[in-house]
Amino acid sequence: MAERREDEQAKNESFARDALPWMDDVYRFALSLTRDPADAQDIVQETYLRAYRSWHTFDPNSDCRRWLFTICRNAFLRSRQQGRLEVDVTDADAEAIAAAREHRAMIEDGTDRLLASVDLGPALDRALAGLDEPFRSAVQLVDVEDQSYESAAEILGVPIGTVRSRLFRGRRQMQRSLVVHARDAGLRPASGPKGSRGSQRHA
Amino acid sequence: MPDEIRSIDCNTAVSKLWDFLDAELDDEKMREVQKHLTECSDCLPHADFNRRFLTALNEARQRNIMPPALREQVLSALAADGYFPAR
Repeated sequence: MAERREDEQAKNESFARDALPWMDDVYRFALSLTRDPADAQDIVQETYLRAYRSWHTFDPNSDCRRWLFTICRNAFLRSRQQGRLEVDVTDADAEAIAAAREHRAMIEDGTDRLLASVDLGPALDRALAGLDEPFRSAVQLVDVEDQSYESAAEILGVPIGTVRSRLFRGRRQMQRSLVVHARDAGLRPASGPKGSRGSQRHA
Repeated sequence: MPDEIRSIDCNTAVSKLWDFLDAELDDEKMREVQKHLTECSDCLPHADFNRRFLTALNEARQRNIMPPALREQVLSALAADGYFPAR
């Protein structure tokens, strides 16, 4: 019937307009969860199929990217036959203080200057991939995908306080990885006008 | 008379440093942490380091690119489910 055809067309138009543009973001999130490009592609496909089939449930006034991330994460958990990930909720404030204490140690032993002289990007990619869940998805959502604590909490299905503690713990673990990276790479702080091996300045 | 911004100690500032950098504090607490950082040479390096860390981490968006063929793969799967692009 003509009316049904119009409904389908409206659905496809809104899906193309609101959901499809986020495919790169969903892929990045899926990759952070699976740590395997092939698995990530499967998760992206499943995410979009589920999103399309349940498009009638999506509130057009809400955040589509957040909705897709939630579907993506659930698809990942199903693929691993995992239930909710339980983790001890640590004190987020204590994590922040501990990170500062460790940074103080980095300043004192010169590691801070080493890190200031290199491109952190590749090392951070490795550090993020090496993080365990549930810290990895918290860092991916907030720090890479620019989600607020509240949004990340909704996507992950946990309280905001849990997001904070997982996020701060994940960041601290990543910063420790950077220290190991700097030392293993045998980096030396830039000194004088010639600089040092592998050093790059970043604004 | 303008409202005075409460002074906080280093422990308080550092415990809220991530929230501050994420802009997740209320306005009053944001000002308190900002005030402390402008006045404290011990805490400012932590903020600078963390800010640099978060900036570099956020740039991962540009480093992890979706394979071009995946879009077509997904659209083909959707087409099998009844999706068709608008004319």
